Amino acid sequence: MTAEALDQENRAGERKWRRRSLWSLALLIPLALAVESYDSVKALLGDSDLFARRVVWGQSAHFGGSDWKLTDLRGAFGMSNLPPDSVPVLADFQVRVGDPDLQKLWLGCKVTLIDKDGRRWLPTSIVLLKTPDNVGNCISAIFSGAKSGDTLNLRETFLVPKEATKSIRPAVGVASERPRFLLFQLEKD
Amino acid sequence: MMRKSANIVLLLVAMVFCYGLQTSKPRYGDLIGPIPAYGKLGDTAVGRAFEVHAEKVEFARKLKVDQFGQQKVLTTGGVWAVVTVEFAARSESTTIGVASWRGPTGLTYDQTERLSFMNGLLPVAIDPGLPRKARLIFEMRPDQVSDATLLVSEKLMAALDSQAEIALGPVAVAPDGLPPGTVDMLDYGAAALRKTNDGRGFGSGE
Amino acid sequence: MLESARSRLKAWTVAGIGTAAAIAVAGVLGAFGARHEPLPVLAPASRIDTGEWLLRPLKAYVTAEKYAYGTLLKPGGKALVLELEMTNRTAKSTKDYFDVLQASPATVDPATKPFIVLTRDSTMSPELHPGMPERMAYIWQLPDGAAAPASFGLTVIRKTYKPRDNLYGLPGWFNPTPAGTLTIAVGAGPDSADIQP
Repeated sequence: MTAEALDQENRAGERKWRRRSLWSLALLIPLALAVESYDSVKALLGDSDLFARRVVWGQSAHFGGSDWKLTDLRGAFGMSNLPPDSVPVLADFQVRVGDPDLQKLWLGCKVTLIDKDGRRWLPTSIVLLKTPDNVGNCISAIFSGAKSGDTLNLRETFLVPKEATKSIRPAVGVASERPRFLLFQLEKD
Repeated sequence: MMRKSANIVLLLVAMVFCYGLQTSKPRYGDLIGPIPAYGKLGDTAVGRAFEVHAEKVEFARKLKVDQFGQQKVLTTGGVWAVVTVEFAARSESTTIGVASWRGPTGLTYDQTERLSFMNGLLPVAIDPGLPRKARLIFEMRPDQVSDATLLVSEKLMAALDSQAEIALGPVAVAPDGLPPGTVDMLDYGAAALRKTNDGRGFGSGE
Repeated sequence: MLESARSRLKAWTVAGIGTAAAIAVAGVLGAFGARHEPLPVLAPASRIDTGEWLLRPLKAYVTAEKYAYGTLLKPGGKALVLELEMTNRTAKSTKDYFDVLQASPATVDPATKPFIVLTRDSTMSPELHPGMPERMAYIWQLPDGAAAPASFGLTVIRKTYKPRDNLYGLPGWFNPTPAGTLTIAVGAGPDSADIQP
């Protein structure tokens, strides 16, 4: 074999590898991006309520270790001293505690109302309504020391504009289940 | 010889280029800073999660407030500026927590902390579809009233989130150094607050 | 053998000259003269620049009242009150004044943090705004049974401005260092006259 032929063969091999490396970049760069952003994506997903799990009226759903059921959603009309065209809305839940480690499972518990346009309302502090002693809210329930098998009555109060009252549906999210959340349907749905 | 000098020129060009890259590189503080949402007095600045509409600015030498049922007169070494604003949440309930007044020379005056526990001051919780009025109260040097910018954001470190920047426009100055419309005393009694509709409504039942 | 000894000698000489040169350069740059200087003694009637603040001491007194500027004091105890004019020299409202003055441990227990009050309306530690002088009161609770001192010492702490800190790249005031000491006479009561410049 002459030196020239050997040289040619080397060059061909080199070219082949160069092409292989170039093509592998197409795979390696997206892979590197995915690895790099894994933690950020996880944090983002774990922080927001993205994927709704619909719960039919009257049914209960297992969520965050307990069984959640919407018992009532109604407006409290006829109150004075409120912004114009606004209605206080009360959402009542009945929760049968399964796993009693609420401080871990219910961390970041957030009850919201979602309307047909995707607008979200958090519980209000403008309206303070008297609640019966055996009714708490999501946060107070975490520290209530409830045991497995107990039934908790929860109520959250919201302030929504009148035009939105027709289409609002209550939703519940907790950190241990995010990005999934419960979206409760009403009787008429 | 020719080749050598060409190399030197190339090296110099590379140095200038690298220096340019270094000096024009944005600082970390700029990269993660708030994102401005511009507006001016009388119209609405639209941010990611909230909108601010600055209605009017009033100046006063003294403020009279009700605190824990007691009347209190607050004096200042400069001048009080009270901005009446309307906040609106866009798609989600949120809280407006921070406002400051940036004067023409860049001096930044945070909302006063001498009126804590008063209704209608920040932080203000807002819900979608229910705009809410509030008052932002600052004390400042009289030479900072003209051509100022009102800065409003949800949180103190509005990193990578909207900060409304509202141009408040020029304000004339009277011979006494204060704006001509400065009143001696602005009264923020309970009645004045109820009118703005941001009082806490204590409902009596369901 | 001889060769290696010579090269070793050469290495030692080079290292020695290098070290000597480094020490000489450090000396010229002032590395040795920096500390050990006694802190300057500041005049109480002067304006004291701490970087962030311009301080002008006005008066000091001991009170045994129940309240001093709206602050509830320990019943039966005494409190040392220092009133001074403070001007924010920075471009932003700030309340970074908690460590700007340190009372001498001879008078005040070092663990005692002062209450800092705006005398205008007794607001507890509000933010002070750029370029607006305000009269403030530092109120230290004195140890139980301590007699009212005739004078007391203060250490003034200054900070340095950095346009960008090393962590966030944001501007701020850092590196607290003592700027000087001053001795202030303790007056009879709240009505004693202000120190005049």
